[in-house]
Amino acid sequence: MKTLVLGMGNPILSDDGVGIRVAQEVGKRLNDPQVTVAETSAAGISLLDFIAGYDRVIIIDAIQTKAGNAGQIYRMGSENFSLTKHISSPHQIDLATALELGKMLNLAMPREITVFAVEAKDITSFSEKCTPEVEQAIPEVVKMVLEQLDA
Amino acid sequence: MKKITIDPITRLEGHGKITIFLNEDGSVANTYLQIPELRGFEKFSEGRIAEDMPQITQRICGVCPEAHHMAATKALDDLFHVEPTSTAKKLRELFYSAFYVTDHTTHFYILAAPDFVMGPDAAPAERNILGVIGKVGLELGGAVINTRKQNHWIIQTIGGRPIHPCFGLPGGVSKAINEEERTKIEEIARGSVEFAKLSLKVFDDVVLKNKAYLDMVLSNTFVQKSYNMGLVDKNNKVNFYDGKVRVVGPDGKELCKYAPREYLEHIAERVEPWTYLKFPYLKKVGWKGFVDGKDSGVYRATPLSRLNAADGMATPLAQAEYERMYSTLGGKPANYTLATHWARLIELLYAAERLLELSRDPEITSPNVRNIPTAKPDEGVGIVEAPRGTLTHHYITDEKGIIKKCNLIVGTTNNYAALFMSVKKAAEDFVKPGVKITEGLLNRIEMAWRPYDPCMSCATHALPGQLPLEVTIYDVQGNEVQRLSQGVQ
Repeated sequence: MKTLVLGMGNPILSDDGVGIRVAQEVGKRLNDPQVTVAETSAAGISLLDFIAGYDRVIIIDAIQTKAGNAGQIYRMGSENFSLTKHISSPHQIDLATALELGKMLNLAMPREITVFAVEAKDITSFSEKCTPEVEQAIPEVVKMVLEQLDA
Repeated sequence: MKKITIDPITRLEGHGKITIFLNEDGSVANTYLQIPELRGFEKFSEGRIAEDMPQITQRICGVCPEAHHMAATKALDDLFHVEPTSTAKKLRELFYSAFYVTDHTTHFYILAAPDFVMGPDAAPAERNILGVIGKVGLELGGAVINTRKQNHWIIQTIGGRPIHPCFGLPGGVSKAINEEERTKIEEIARGSVEFAKLSLKVFDDVVLKNKAYLDMVLSNTFVQKSYNMGLVDKNNKVNFYDGKVRVVGPDGKELCKYAPREYLEHIAERVEPWTYLKFPYLKKVGWKGFVDGKDSGVYRATPLSRLNAADGMATPLAQAEYERMYSTLGGKPANYTLATHWARLIELLYAAERLLELSRDPEITSPNVRNIPTAKPDEGVGIVEAPRGTLTHHYITDEKGIIKKCNLIVGTTNNYAALFMSVKKAAEDFVKPGVKITEGLLNRIEMAWRPYDPCMSCATHALPGQLPLEVTIYDVQGNEVQRLSQGVQ
């Protein structure tokens, strides 16, 4: 199964870089020609360019929720995206819209998408380091991604 | 006093907030603009090696890394006192033209078109790219995706890797292109010219042939008479990659034309007590508050202002469209904010034509892509036109090339004062005593903002990316009396 592990975020913006950090760690532990590990700071429609052609995609990103604790890990499958499409603003293009657009245009969209999101504390200060709370979560997320790859 | 909050601004990267305070009678008392800003980049860059700046600065923004990479690379040319080879300059401009094709395509179809193709009052669930493609057809949808994809191939081929290029070096670029690559670029450029022509036809059919939309474009609500800024070549034609910054007044008269090194003589920043944003303005004219007219130093740096600041386009098809736009809008400069969408498409056509010209340039495959710098570094300024405005990078280093000071004026920042004024004017015109505040009405206020395509905190895109739109109205005591929200559970 052709798989993409995609770390999203900005590696010089504190906790926004957590997805990229996790992807890099996962990449070090893998030696499987079927799995591609990539990182990107792009979002929205650019995601289509990345995920088209893969059977399975695992995305790692930062998240900010109203009541979450920094370092908290969330695992979301495509069933959650069908929800987020309807609860999101009509104007943006998010992951769910990007997927729907890809299907509409007959692009080869992945059958399975999993998102691992880590609750971020600081995503507005320039730094190559995550905050301690988020830093501590990284090994656990790496483990979860590797388990997902074996599943 | 009642308060209306639009939070966040939708359909842009990063998010902002418009807060409107109402009088007792329901008219607008005051409008404020809040934009979350990233902190500490200047400090972050101190002590770093100057040659790393093209890699580091492009991480500031997830939308236009190519623009930061180019401005930084040009600042390094200046810093190391080295002139790039002719082929290197052409390769950079070719790369930059491909970037413009992708960026302007994305903005028009994803962000601008839904308001016009679906209509400002269309159901929010339909007023998006999916609705647009449903209406204009899958074929055009495929062309949008394909144009982006192919031009990304050019960006990757010349830039060295996808998304974040690594080819810019002081004095040139890291690698040449071969004939096989050139042939493919030429083919993509031809397709991009056709796509840009098609996009202008879509604009004609959807906007210009619809009297209601044309009236809206020309309506006083969306008029703003501010100064226009844009990079021009030696013939005063629009150029994205190189040249001098020209500033033309709302009356069409040139105020100044400056080289990158002179930017501090022309631009100053205004600090206001109610926000931590700084508002750049024209020093020569001075800060007179958030007002338009030629006595106010507020300026705009947008696709429309670039066209206003120039004498024309350097390619034939774009020049013809340029003339047609001004003849339709009743002359130059055009001060209609919504016409920025039109100007953006003319720039798209110019970028595609320029891409084609450069792909056919006999020098483009030359291996002579770099002059090695030999002088000691000290200070350098680089300016390019980013899609969202004039982008200035300024570095001061020690003699080993270690950054001591870094100052950036990024595209959107130029427009802070102007976009605040545009939103305020729209709010005052649309929110009136006795008028029901609907989703469509709030969308019209946002339409005053969208032409600027402001890109704030754009590198920050933690899930869910952007938040749902929420409008809260408060009474005089600050109690919530009404909540208008779309898509919030």
